[in-house]
Amino acid sequence: MARRKSPLYSLGGWLLLFLLLLGVTFPGLGLGPTSHDVRPGYGVSELRWLSDYLPALKGTPGDTPVYVMKGKKEGGVFLLLGGTHPDEIAGIMAAILAVERGNVSQGTVFVIPHANNSASRHNNGHWGHPELQWLEITTSFGERRHFHYGDRLTQPEDQVPDPKEFVQYPSGEKFPGYEARNLNRNYPGKPDGTLTQQVCFAILQLVEKERVDVVMDMHESGISSRMAYMLVCHPRALQIGAMAAMELEQDGISIKLETARKEFHGLSYRELGDRTGVYAFLMETPNPGQEPNIDHPDIIHDPRAPLNHRVYVQLKTIFALLENYNLVSPPERAIRVSFPFPLEKLDTEELGAFLR
Amino acid sequence: MRRALYLLVAFGLGVALTLPAFAQEVQTTSIVSFEQPVLITSIGQSAGAMMAMVLAQKAGLSSFVYKQRASLKDVEVAKTLIAVLGASGKGLGAAGVDIDSEIAWGKKLFAHAKELKIPIIAMQIEGEVRRGPMSDRIINALAPQSDYLIVKDSANKDGLFTKISTENKIPITFVKTALDVVPILQEIFPAKEKGDMNNG
Ligand SMILES: [Zn+2]
Repeated sequence: MARRKSPLYSLGGWLLLFLLLLGVTFPGLGLGPTSHDVRPGYGVSELRWLSDYLPALKGTPGDTPVYVMKGKKEGGVFLLLGGTHPDEIAGIMAAILAVERGNVSQGTVFVIPHANNSASRHNNGHWGHPELQWLEITTSFGERRHFHYGDRLTQPEDQVPDPKEFVQYPSGEKFPGYEARNLNRNYPGKPDGTLTQQVCFAILQLVEKERVDVVMDMHESGISSRMAYMLVCHPRALQIGAMAAMELEQDGISIKLETARKEFHGLSYRELGDRTGVYAFLMETPNPGQEPNIDHPDIIHDPRAPLNHRVYVQLKTIFALLENYNLVSPPERAIRVSFPFPLEKLDTEELGAFLR
Repeated sequence: MRRALYLLVAFGLGVALTLPAFAQEVQTTSIVSFEQPVLITSIGQSAGAMMAMVLAQKAGLSSFVYKQRASLKDVEVAKTLIAVLGASGKGLGAAGVDIDSEIAWGKKLFAHAKELKIPIIAMQIEGEVRRGPMSDRIINALAPQSDYLIVKDSANKDGLFTKISTENKIPITFVKTALDVVPILQEIFPAKEKGDMNNG
């Protein structure tokens, strides 16, 4: 005897089928990496994905584009990380500018503008400003471009629930549970670990496999934070950092030089520097959006720290570091990068004037 | 110009002649001079000592050793001690010491240098970012014990170093940026050949 389907049952079935199809057709609605408005310029020779270094990341929200910029002349390798904390937007915009306008004459540059791509999807208001979701920048063509203003941490729905206490792997150092979703506490990562650990592991794989010589992890802090304008160096990289800092000072950029603390584990410069031969750096510029005490922070035009100035400081620091790296390294490992405009112009003109 | 003025003021105060090296150099262009080998170290474990090492390199000093945290033995082989004063929480953490033990250690190091009649140049070349409560404790404890001060302008906005220099009759040179220290090092550490000639 055939059982008669209730109308409700068949409606539910159709709905289920619809949702399934939706999920299959638009992976963005289910799992999958967030996409961004990045327009590679002449300098980019190849697009890769972070999952090329850890296939388990493929199709997950942790996968992220890796832009490869290969110079004509063989040389050293530089890895530029933006968006380790995707609410720290100067790093993301500096990386995007490198992809869109940068050129490499010697060596190879790998740029990952959204290192924690899951976190870049939306802002949960870690610093009390959940209204900040998009960055609108008008280009010189009058086009309004939009960039995600993300969160500090991997989206909770992308990872297993936070433990009560996060035990850093493999150091065993203990942190509050939410730090399990902080990319800059999870190095060296784990191939079969949480999404955040996998992303860290894939970045470490890239550093090893591509024989990266220099890595810069771009961050921001609050504008009144003592970390603003701080350049943190792995101990092996401190001399290059000192040389760069003193040159930057001549150009009117006063930065605070620090070296990595041994007992702080999971940080990019610490773990990448310890585990590979890379000269590892982390730079902090001040972001009004990370200041809980500012009502409606202006993350682009705050006169105390306008975005174009922050991007300028990030890129100028990188140039100074690479120049001094070249001085202390064998000529065949040199890395030479440039922009088709004087970098100083960035300090006085709106960022939109330089984007594609 | 400004530097020369400070040196002149220091000279006018009748100081800077207590060290044998100073006396020797009075006839030459430089009022203050020191001998190599130089030990460059940090009190407070900031990155300033590394900067001083790079500056010594750039100045072309022929004999210097950089030890982020020097030992008493390191002092014994030096003829001049450059102590860069500046506290860094990260740096102290890396060395596994707290601010109190760092200051105690700095005092011990300075006392040992004085025992051995090794002149001490104290530097603050990181500017106002190293003028927090911890750094100030180091500066107040040790800068008055030095024989010569090289200080970045922005570290002296409140006149602390001017006060220390005046009260303790220590010659002081101010610089605008850290790289301005290069020509000063070249001047106060005369090239060895020249020194040999003078001695011969
Ligand atoms: Zn950050």
